[in-house]
Amino acid sequence: MAKILIPTPLRQFTAKRDSVNVPGATVGEVLAALTTEFPDLRKQIFNDEGKLRSFVNVYLNDEDIRYLGKDATPAADSDTVSLVPSIAGGAAN
Amino acid sequence: MIRIEPEPWAAMVAHARASYPNECCGAMLGAAEGDTKTVRQAIALENAFEGAQAARYELRPEDLLAADKAARERHMNLIGIYHSHPDCDAYFSATDLRNSCPWYSFVVLSIQKGEFHHANCFLPNVDQTEAPKEELIY
Ligand SMILES: [Zn+2]
Repeated sequence: MAKILIPTPLRQFTAKRDSVNVPGATVGEVLAALTTEFPDLRKQIFNDEGKLRSFVNVYLNDEDIRYLGKDATPAADSDTVSLVPSIAGGAAN
Repeated sequence: MIRIEPEPWAAMVAHARASYPNECCGAMLGAAEGDTKTVRQAIALENAFEGAQAARYELRPEDLLAADKAARERHMNLIGIYHSHPDCDAYFSATDLRNSCPWYSFVVLSIQKGEFHHANCFLPNVDQTEAPKEELIY
């Protein structure tokens, strides 16, 4: 049961919980279990094709899973999964 | 509605002025009760955009992860992101929208000739197609 930290604005979809423990041997399974338990979260994290939205980065502890094993990254009970946004911008259109 | 307390507001304006003529960016921590948000602390973050920063900014995800961790330790929430528009109005540009995240409130500070001019707050949608204004009190 890895722990997933829920960003504040998403707690409206997780019965106000700021972290959730869900089963899963990999990060992909953990995210699938999370969005099964809290279906309203799915739209915030995944697009219609079931891929992570462009602004969502997933971290296992302090590492971006993109540089680990992506969805197949093993998740242990002691691990913490974080949903971290990509944010940029600027006045230039 | 988002209300920024005087101390974080002063820090945000000071950060935006100090970064002029470049854009600055940072995180806002505080409390959220439904649609009513109160910013109690502003954390200045590095503009990590590689290239000219007069009209661009980029936040490192690692810095946002650290800001979220800091918020949890201080029993606050990460509720918003701020950035500045040097010598431009405080609109939400196409670049802002394309690189936004719908989870947070986005405060834009207009800095004209080095001095604070006005600010607006925006709430981008999940599909990054529009960002309606959120009432901002400072
Ligand atoms: Zn902008």
